[in-house]
Amino acid sequence: MNILVFTKRVAATQEEELRIRDEGASVDLSKVPFKINDWDNYSIEEAVRIVEKTGGTVTAISIGDAESDEVLRRAIAMGAKDGFLVNSESVFHDPGVRSRLIQNFIQKENIPFDVIFTGVQSEDDQFGCVGGILGAVLGLPYSSMVIGIDAVEKDHMIIRRELEGGLQERIKITVPCVLSIQSGINEPRYVSIMGIRKASKVERKVFKAADYAAEAGPGIEVVQWAYPEKKGVATMLTGELDVVCGQLLGILKEKGVFQ
Amino acid sequence: MSYTLIIAEVRRGVFEERNLDSAGIAALLGKEAVMLLPDGAYQTGNIADTIVKVKVGEEVFLNPLNLKNILEKVFTARGNPDVIIFTHSSFGMESAAYTAGAFGFPVVTDVSGYDKERGVFLKSYYSDKIFGEFKANGGPVVLSVRSGSFKEFAAEKTATRVEEIEGVAPVEGRTFVEYVEEEKADVDITKADFLLSVGRGIGNKDEIPAYEDLAGKLKAVLSGSRPVIDKMWLPKPRQVGTSGKTVKPKVYLAMGISGAFQHIAGMKDSECIIAVNKDTEAPIFQYAHFGIVADIHKVRDKLKEIMG
Ligand SMILES: Cc1cc2nc3c(=O)[nH]c(=O)nc-3n(C[C@H](O)[C@H](O)[C@H](O)COP(=O)(O)OP(=O)(O)OC[C@H]3O[C@@H](n4cnc5c(N)ncnc54)[C@H](O)[C@@H]3O)c2cc1C
Repeated sequence: MNILVFTKRVAATQEEELRIRDEGASVDLSKVPFKINDWDNYSIEEAVRIVEKTGGTVTAISIGDAESDEVLRRAIAMGAKDGFLVNSESVFHDPGVRSRLIQNFIQKENIPFDVIFTGVQSEDDQFGCVGGILGAVLGLPYSSMVIGIDAVEKDHMIIRRELEGGLQERIKITVPCVLSIQSGINEPRYVSIMGIRKASKVERKVFKAADYAAEAGPGIEVVQWAYPEKKGVATMLTGELDVVCGQLLGILKEKGVFQ
Repeated sequence: MSYTLIIAEVRRGVFEERNLDSAGIAALLGKEAVMLLPDGAYQTGNIADTIVKVKVGEEVFLNPLNLKNILEKVFTARGNPDVIIFTHSSFGMESAAYTAGAFGFPVVTDVSGYDKERGVFLKSYYSDKIFGEFKANGGPVVLSVRSGSFKEFAAEKTATRVEEIEGVAPVEGRTFVEYVEEEKADVDITKADFLLSVGRGIGNKDEIPAYEDLAGKLKAVLSGSRPVIDKMWLPKPRQVGTSGKTVKPKVYLAMGISGAFQHIAGMKDSECIIAVNKDTEAPIFQYAHFGIVADIHKVRDKLKEIMG
């Protein structure tokens, strides 16, 4: 089974203070560290596990700037055979533009595949759309929230989709298909610095995104970036750690959950 | 005739409450609200002007490949809507994207605000640290809406017309097999009065015993955010959030949790929320009653020290 896995390098903003620039025109990410999208880590792992059983290859593909080579090296270190960078220095906020770019790339370059994996969403924009749009434009069956792959046959797979509240549904999906992988589906393997160094020796092919651009322009545009509306009225406990922790225990007592 | 099409979410006979958010934004959009629903006795209330029942079962309807064929019929009969609304859930996320791709429509997901005057939809970026104001270039635009964002605008209609349309032959590319229930839990976190909930901020699995110890001293039950469960640091039944449990304890003490909406949706109705996070801008502080900006490990150790 040949699997294409799309992977993205994203800003790790969880612990960062983000600032909007140019009167709402952009978000300053210049001081923010970048990393592989968490969901892609799971989808690469899942793809590698499948080909380890069924044979075939995993190809990691990233659309992004030159720095995105980093996530390709990482994917190769995890077991992908090839890494393709579809290079673009601009960010496409419209997932429709990204999906059509991928469609054109796969079709023009005639890249063979049985299954395409994406992550359920990327951490930065949380759109969760690239896989679904891609499945539809390629005319292939699609499933998102894939939390388990129970059986892989030549012409179909049995998979589990995650729903709400811990419930799952088991479905049968024919191959070829597009699947968006949910976090927690597996335990991704550890990637060592040594492993990444070794992976660097595998040539990564670079393509120019402009060669595969869709005829149609973006369907959506960002008019402006904004900070969240302040809702909260949290009382902040401040001061020395002793004092703050003492206050915290006081609140717990007052609420009757702690003696 | 311009109209807004709401794709209702139903599951195992239940009309999901988050459909109210779809009805709410439809009310703000102000066009005729048409709600599409599979066959069945669902408690919908009068939240749409027109209900269109499709003669297919739930599992057929909830499959994006079938839904595409159903929508083709609706569009042929009524013309294209201006806006198509999905819930931002497992079903809605999947089908919004697939629908947008199938028909070449623009899409904005996880919409939590709408500015009618400027015609822009508010969408979260970077786990709610920044929001993008999106405008569609033409339409119909497909939206998935965040639960809790618009339900207050859902209006009771005086009369709801009900129409029926014929179903579609289910596609073969993807078929429903069965539902799979969650594993049995050792403790039921929904029954606890006091939850100590830990997030990715704890850093690694080796820290878990120290938080178990703290929970023991506080007589709290330990729960976690999704990454903690994904990494198998805690078992799945201990997960708080949309894809885990919804909890309403007397006290919810969140340590190292940023406050993504999927997490917030599972704990926001707790009587008292206390958040400890080293990032002053962590979105969870927007929902907390009390907040502490500090290193969680230091807070943990100090609490233990005071309690002896
Ligand atoms: C379909 C779907 C369903 C989902 N369902 C759920 C769900 O049910 N439940 C859920 O929780 N999530 C769910 N998620 C994931 C959700 O979007 C977030 O990714 C997740 O909630 C983030 O968890 P976190 O806050 O623990 O981690 P992060 O967002 O990584 O936050 C970690 C926080 O810890 C803080 N921190 C780090 N180190 C320290 C320290 N030493 N001291 C103090 N603070 C520190 C950081 O500042 C940060 O705020 C779902 C996502 C999808 C797409």
